[in-house]
Amino acid sequence: MRYRIKHITEYRYSDRVSHCYNLAHMIPRTTLRQKCLKSDVDVQPMSAYATRRQDYFGNMAFHFEIQRPHKKLIISATSEVNTGPQRSNLNLDFGITCAQARELMKKAKDFETLQAREYQLESPMIRASSELQEFAAPSFADDRPLLSAVMDLTRRIFKEFSYEPQSTTIATPLHEVLESRKGVCQDFAHLQIGCLRSLGFAAKYVSGYIETLPPPGKEKLVGTDATHAWISVYSPTEGWFEFDPTNECLAGEQHIITAWGRDFFDVTPLKGVIFGGGQTPTLNVSVDVARLAD
Amino acid sequence: MQSQSSSTISEATEESLHYESGTRFKDEVFAEDGTIKPFWENLLGSLQSLGALSMEDRANKARRILRDDGATYNIYDEQQSPSHTWALDLVPSLISSEEWGTIEGGLLERSELFNLLLKDIYGQRHLMRQGVIPPEVLYAHRGFLRACHGLQVPGEHQLILQAVDLIRGDDGNMCALTDRTQCPSGAGYALENRTVMSRVFPSLFRSSQVHRLAGFFQQLRSKLIALSPNQDQPRVVVLTPGAHNETYFEHAYFANYLGFHLVQSGDLVVRNGYVWMKALDGLSRVDVILRRVDDLFCDPVELRSDSQLGVPNLLEVARAGRVVIANPLGSGILENPIFLKYLPGIAKELLGRELRLQSVATYWCGDAEDLKYVLANLPSLVIKPIYRSHGKISTCGRDLTAKQLQELKARILADPMQYVGQPIVEAGYLPTFSNGELIPRPSILRSFAVAGSGSYSIMPGGLTRVGGTEDAFIISNQLGAQSKDTWIISSEPMAAEGAAGGVDTAIAPVREADLISLPSRVVENLFWMGRYAERAEATLRLLRTVFVMLNSEEPISPDCQRLLLETLTETTVTHPGFINATEELINDPEPELLRILNDVALSGSVRSTLNAMLFCADASQELLSSDTTRVINDIRDALSSLDDLVSTDLFSAPEEAIDPLVTALMALSGLAHESMIRDFGWRFIDIGRRLERAHQTTSLIKCLVVPERPEADQNVLLESLLLSVEALISYRRRYRARMGVQSTLDLVMMDTSNPRSLLHQLEQLSAHIRKLPRVQETKHELPPEERATLHAETLIKLSLLTELSSRNDGERQVLLQTLDNLHLSLATISDLLSDKYFDHREVSQQLVSNTWENL
Repeated sequence: MRYRIKHITEYRYSDRVSHCYNLAHMIPRTTLRQKCLKSDVDVQPMSAYATRRQDYFGNMAFHFEIQRPHKKLIISATSEVNTGPQRSNLNLDFGITCAQARELMKKAKDFETLQAREYQLESPMIRASSELQEFAAPSFADDRPLLSAVMDLTRRIFKEFSYEPQSTTIATPLHEVLESRKGVCQDFAHLQIGCLRSLGFAAKYVSGYIETLPPPGKEKLVGTDATHAWISVYSPTEGWFEFDPTNECLAGEQHIITAWGRDFFDVTPLKGVIFGGGQTPTLNVSVDVARLAD
Repeated sequence: MQSQSSSTISEATEESLHYESGTRFKDEVFAEDGTIKPFWENLLGSLQSLGALSMEDRANKARRILRDDGATYNIYDEQQSPSHTWALDLVPSLISSEEWGTIEGGLLERSELFNLLLKDIYGQRHLMRQGVIPPEVLYAHRGFLRACHGLQVPGEHQLILQAVDLIRGDDGNMCALTDRTQCPSGAGYALENRTVMSRVFPSLFRSSQVHRLAGFFQQLRSKLIALSPNQDQPRVVVLTPGAHNETYFEHAYFANYLGFHLVQSGDLVVRNGYVWMKALDGLSRVDVILRRVDDLFCDPVELRSDSQLGVPNLLEVARAGRVVIANPLGSGILENPIFLKYLPGIAKELLGRELRLQSVATYWCGDAEDLKYVLANLPSLVIKPIYRSHGKISTCGRDLTAKQLQELKARILADPMQYVGQPIVEAGYLPTFSNGELIPRPSILRSFAVAGSGSYSIMPGGLTRVGGTEDAFIISNQLGAQSKDTWIISSEPMAAEGAAGGVDTAIAPVREADLISLPSRVVENLFWMGRYAERAEATLRLLRTVFVMLNSEEPISPDCQRLLLETLTETTVTHPGFINATEELINDPEPELLRILNDVALSGSVRSTLNAMLFCADASQELLSSDTTRVINDIRDALSSLDDLVSTDLFSAPEEAIDPLVTALMALSGLAHESMIRDFGWRFIDIGRRLERAHQTTSLIKCLVVPERPEADQNVLLESLLLSVEALISYRRRYRARMGVQSTLDLVMMDTSNPRSLLHQLEQLSAHIRKLPRVQETKHELPPEERATLHAETLIKLSLLTELSSRNDGERQVLLQTLDNLHLSLATISDLLSDKYFDHREVSQQLVSNTWENL
């Protein structure tokens, strides 16, 4: 599937910002099932200096520095990508079991597994806990195929948690999400990763976009899409598999990847330091995912 | 905590000093057969003939030198008295050059290995691929900075500086205990120790054939310069977290000794992909940063976003190779003690051989076997967190109760990867001078390596530290240990490396351009140091005048008394104070006077003004001479004895409290005048002084001369004014006893031969301001600050004494008008200078605020 994504981020400040330094993860990366064909980031006011580079995780990082005073910052990222499904004829009920996976995580000497062990550990926003372990354990019987177990966990998060857009912020800790049983895609991704790591599996955070389809017979409205987040789990000898707990599915062609990392912290769409600016700025994000003819 | 401030000579007797072998220690002095090692004999013999009393004298001398040099070590958690004089024990640690050869070889090899290790960690990760180290050694350590992946420093060496703590192992060889690889501290203290020792024991030092240290610092300096991506006059700066850091003295000392600027984060800014220093004459590009700020705090955009010690976007500039940071960001990973466990394998893989220098045995709780061992042997192990941070310290199992051991066990089991266990190594003991005796103390040696063009160089010696008690197991400056100079004793006489006297001397002169390029922050601090010093002095003089008048044998009128006291409140801006005060307060002013003198919480009081002055002095320590530091110390002393003095009756002998401070402050201004180079730093101190003095004198005249009073009272007020501005004697010599308004105003306002007159201040100000760096302009229009000064100068020059002294409705209105205009001009000058030359840092904030980075 071919898409054009327009991702516009707008900050308005109550006071003048004299200069600022930012780091954005808004340019889609290329992966096994996705190719970024072109990308362009426009910054208003014009940046004095900007660079893009590939970071530690293989994501595209975009740095910019603005030296002129402003009260409004607009970043428009436009990209075109080709996406595909994860794997043809993937059957979740075959493959290695949870017990085997756990064992292989410890013993396997191949570089991919060694590298995957990074995603077994705690990360800035996600800590393993006995509560998470207890919640997840019923899905992970030792003899159950790992991917089938992960799908079961995906389903349970979807069923037992309610999607409530204003219920959390990025600072909401995981145990609160687990208690209140509500959140947004980011919380669910963190929750599922926390569950998997608590059980000794490796999982990473994937940030990106999802194409939303209009109700039958209606035309699609521009700007109704949003940034999205889901997870990828590592199965030794089999590789990485993406699951979307917010939509109770495996990530597919409609899931467009921007970046991945240990958690949101590694792939924050825009962060940085501003000088001046007054009180809390207002933030507006609009995303438009348009399907293009191949 | 050893008290270093007391200078009282203890009950040392004239007995000679003996050192006896303790049987339960490994002792550095004695060979296995119990005899004194030959290279110790000379030293111990000399100390013995010196005697305890003489040692005590020299210890005092050493303390004095350290204090005058400003050598301090700030102890965390002691906010009240942040500076402690660096503690130096006078008995050096001796190492024979034969043994040193072995140690040095081992250290060289170790640094080469750590350099390769660092390259591998942020590059190919070959060691992990090959299974030499488990992935968690990197992934579970907070010092592994993913943002630094691929970062490269030009040249062979990624690791520029390394420090290794060495301890005498059970096999009798030195053994590595810890590695410091981010921004190792201690080398500067080692140099300061050496400087002091060579002054306190000049002949002993000369005759002992000690290896010199200067070469190491020369190596460091040329390495830093060679790192520059810009070969044309590279600018190297030393980045410090600031004056509150525990080792700030060393940062300042280093910067001075090497001839580099000392900067704080606010002095640096990233623009257009380069790092710049905000200096008096604009922005100057920075090529190399010797950092004393920890990895995580260096860049709030990519690393810890709540850091105020870093420079936004610094990492991205380093990545592009446009600035070089030593040690490179991310090098903190090498401090991970888990590496010690895998070091033999790493060495075989990267060097093809085993290391000669052993490390202390290390058990990593992330390894199942090791964990079992650690849990079974807790009481005989030291448990260390793998990542060093404030509040996370090593625990010695044998010091714990059964309950504490259980808690430790639980802590380890909750997160086993974060801990290592190491056997307790009994340190080698060294003779240490204490209370007239030589007593054994456990010791540890911090060694230093710096990268050169080919290989590393090791500092011949290092920083030896000894425990505060006989059985101290953790020897850390934070816990009140002492330090020692370390002498590598050569078997042959040393060729003089530095000056003939044998003292290690400073290296190269500072570039001409660097004299102008003072960081704006430093200039601002000097300006305020001048202002605060002058303000405190003016207040002290006025206080003294008020005491003289209130205590005079011929009582002054109640009206006069009130006016004088109100003047004090006005000039110190400590309202309400005496303004509209009740009769009781005016008749019994002592409590309020005491507040103006000594209340630390009262802004405008002498104490708070001097505290502010001392703060500015500390923050520009690197520019002050040791004479100046000594005077600053005198002020500190006078301030601390103020409490005692005023707790007795202040009224009975106010001069006892006030005079020492006035004298010290005058010494400070005299020093600035007589022994500071006429650079921009000096100019700003003097500008601060002149502005403040003009301001204070204007206020005094306004309070004391503007109101019209009967002649008797007027005379008292004029006399008070003259006394306060130190002009009474000149006045009397010139005009005999007759007090007059015109002649007083003439002397304090217009007479340029009076160094305290208003006009003299303004002329000096003009002269300074004309010499400040400025943008070349083609126009002939004067810059605003020069216009403002000229305006103030002209105001006085065009005034007529008859008009100034004329009275109208109980006031001298022309005088009032003139003084108000003067005040306004002075404030304008100050604002204009501040706008133009000082750093106006805006408050920065994070675009996305978060709280989860404290993992």
